[in-house]
Amino acid sequence: MKRILVLALCVFTLFGLAGCAQSANTPQTASKQDQPLVIATSADLGSIDPAVAMDNAAWKISYPAYDRLVNFKGSSTDVEPSLAKSWDISADGLTWTFHLRDDVKFADGTPLDAAAVKFSFDRLLKIKKGPSDAFPSLENVTAVDKNTVLFKLKTVFPPFLSTLATNGGGIVNPAVMKHEKDADMGQNWLATTTAGSGAYVLAEWVPEQSLKLTANPNYWGSKPKLSTIIIKIVKDPSAQRMALEKGDVDVAENIPVDQLKELKKNPDLTIFETPSLMVDYVYLNTQKAGLKNPKVRQAISYAVDYQGIIDNVWQGNATQMRGPIPNGLWGYQPDLLQYTRNVEKAKALLQEAGVNNLTLNFMYSDRKPWWEQEAQIIQSNLADIGIKVNLQKIAYAAQREKIDKGDFDMTIGVWSPDYADPYMFMNYWFDSKNFGLAGNRAFYKNAEVDKLVRKAASINNQTERIELYKQAQQLIMQDAPYVFLVQKKYQLPMRKSVQGFVFNPMLEDMYNFQAMSK
Amino acid sequence: MNTSKFVAKRLGQLVLVLLGVTLVTFLVSHVVPGDPARMLIGQRADEQTLAAMRHAMGLDKPVWIQYLNYLWGLIHGDLGTSIRTQRPVLNELLSFFPATVELTLFAMGFAVSIGILLGLLSATFRDTLTDHATRILAILGVSTPLFWLGLMALLLFYKYLGWLPGSGRLDPLINPPTHITGLYVVDSLISGDWIALKSSILHLILPSLCLGYIQLATIARLVRASMIEVLELDYIKTALANGIPRSRIIYRHALRNALIPTVTIIGLTFGELLGGAILTETIFAWPGMGKFVVDSISFLDFPAIMGFTLVVATVYVLINMVVDLLYPILDPQIKGVH
Repeated sequence: MKRILVLALCVFTLFGLAGCAQSANTPQTASKQDQPLVIATSADLGSIDPAVAMDNAAWKISYPAYDRLVNFKGSSTDVEPSLAKSWDISADGLTWTFHLRDDVKFADGTPLDAAAVKFSFDRLLKIKKGPSDAFPSLENVTAVDKNTVLFKLKTVFPPFLSTLATNGGGIVNPAVMKHEKDADMGQNWLATTTAGSGAYVLAEWVPEQSLKLTANPNYWGSKPKLSTIIIKIVKDPSAQRMALEKGDVDVAENIPVDQLKELKKNPDLTIFETPSLMVDYVYLNTQKAGLKNPKVRQAISYAVDYQGIIDNVWQGNATQMRGPIPNGLWGYQPDLLQYTRNVEKAKALLQEAGVNNLTLNFMYSDRKPWWEQEAQIIQSNLADIGIKVNLQKIAYAAQREKIDKGDFDMTIGVWSPDYADPYMFMNYWFDSKNFGLAGNRAFYKNAEVDKLVRKAASINNQTERIELYKQAQQLIMQDAPYVFLVQKKYQLPMRKSVQGFVFNPMLEDMYNFQAMSK
Repeated sequence: MNTSKFVAKRLGQLVLVLLGVTLVTFLVSHVVPGDPARMLIGQRADEQTLAAMRHAMGLDKPVWIQYLNYLWGLIHGDLGTSIRTQRPVLNELLSFFPATVELTLFAMGFAVSIGILLGLLSATFRDTLTDHATRILAILGVSTPLFWLGLMALLLFYKYLGWLPGSGRLDPLINPPTHITGLYVVDSLISGDWIALKSSILHLILPSLCLGYIQLATIARLVRASMIEVLELDYIKTALANGIPRSRIIYRHALRNALIPTVTIIGLTFGELLGGAILTETIFAWPGMGKFVVDSISFLDFPAIMGFTLVVATVYVLINMVVDLLYPILDPQIKGVH
């Protein structure tokens, strides 16, 4: 009896609270909303502050929520005006003057002017996290008048205009300073909210569950067709596939390549396919005794069965790389030496180098599902020429740490450019200043290559730069510091009803929501 | 020893257990290679930025100082900031813990009620068709991998039949109910939000049934075994000889005694379910602690991993305490033993 009394009391107390709590849902709101676009993705996001976020998943939210001075144009590697109507460059290439549109407001209604542009870049450089890395030569920014802003560079930096279109170049509402805590310039606040002038604002974020973007009523551009976009976090690829086939989600980002063939048979679905600039390549640690000799590295490059990897791992959805710069980015050399599998030649090269009984460790992680399969293929390929490979699978964080310290023989990685300039490949991968995670993960040093890529990074003339990068690439292919595996095709399964999606290779896993419809 | 003294002693032990847990987790997570500062600033930042970041995060200090700093924060209710999400770990756990608890409670409710019922049926109608069917169900439960079961359930009830939703806690177009306990079912009941209530219950069915099924099988087998044992005892035979109805004997006299080992298992089950929830949460996109911790581990997010471990350890210790407190209620003979 006593127990029943206590229980009854509990129930009454609960309902007593009902008076204070307001219902969040009324029957009308749930049924009357227009159809949102729903995207399934596998992991929740980290910070979405443009000055902090370093991964494309977070940029998916921040890119459409902020505007930049310029944008990548459609699916090309060119840029087009956005907040900046036009710009002038001084003769020495060090001073850039941007003329801003005068009709832009932030989502909260305050006007976006030159002071806000200056604020955003000052903030970016002061916070000095990953995104600021795209602006190594930026000296300072000055607001000349309300609609004119001046960027002063320390040295000529040819990709500068393109870097302004990266996520880090997003213009942030100076009002974020009201939310500053411990001199963090509003980082903590902006980690989970947006304060830009873009077509969408982040309306809701239920951690590990979903994010909701709604159209910004103060947007200066043409009104987007989709008023609501939902990013749903569905970790399991099979569950994503079911939701896509059922129509509960419109786009599913993480369906493995081997399942796409099946999905193609479904009449309600389409697989968006286009070449991407993402490459997958093996780092050979050129500082390790066994790999110091370029002949050994050439032998490895000759031993790998590229076509086998493309057919088996990629089911044909990739092409073999030809040198470091991917096809589709300027600077790509269609007639560059390309290694193909040639066991005899590889064996001969090893013999010339006087190497036998070589044993190497191949380190990889589960960061990319295809690495294990590639590692196994390469292991058996190298066994064919008498190199014994031990596979070593470790956690991704540990893999990064070991790469940074050079504590590996061979390991594998992917790379895609943040801005459209071969600098992203040539200077990051080969300049000996960038040893380790920074980019030169083969710990490769060739004085001639250093000279060529540094020269190419110091002039604005594209024709001359192409020539310099071409010479560097020829030297690099002889030195074979990396095994250049494949350039991935970008594939995204979606419902046929989804219209207007344009893929830009710099904006992988991101969407042009303002032009999309359903 | 009386009950309050027992509770006090157990809570004292809890502190020691947690101290041990923090120490081990802290050491293990700091021994594995990987630099959280690197993970945070991105791979292309220069050494100077990295050093500044390491300093800001306190990573440049010796490990034991870092550990003391962590404990100091812990005493003040500060579990640190998640490296991955940049939000306070305490807030993260507060938002994910209720989701896992809600899922676990529903799974428990299902496993315990149906499990005991099946065990009883099995024992009372021993060696009949009912018994065999129940045992087959139980064996399937014990031997079915959770991820497979989850996917099959999704395929059938979500994709083909379309009866139940397949992922998440709520329909994405429905706003979560006003936050009171964090358990959507309870919160929507309290605030009278019937739309959210219906949606949250529908979303709970598949994951909680899958999660509970395996435990259901264990419980059913255990109840069957101990019921059969109890039914063989002399006092039951005496009761039967005295002409007391069979149903009364089973529910009044036998079940109560047979439940004692079951309670122990149920207690442990709760802990197991919290752990098992990681897989279920992955398959059904349930935004609970399991998903959070898996993502945190792959990011080497020490503060988040530590926070998760602390919560699970606390729950384990508390549940064991509750189980110990339940024994004397079920069996007055045990009174005073602890």
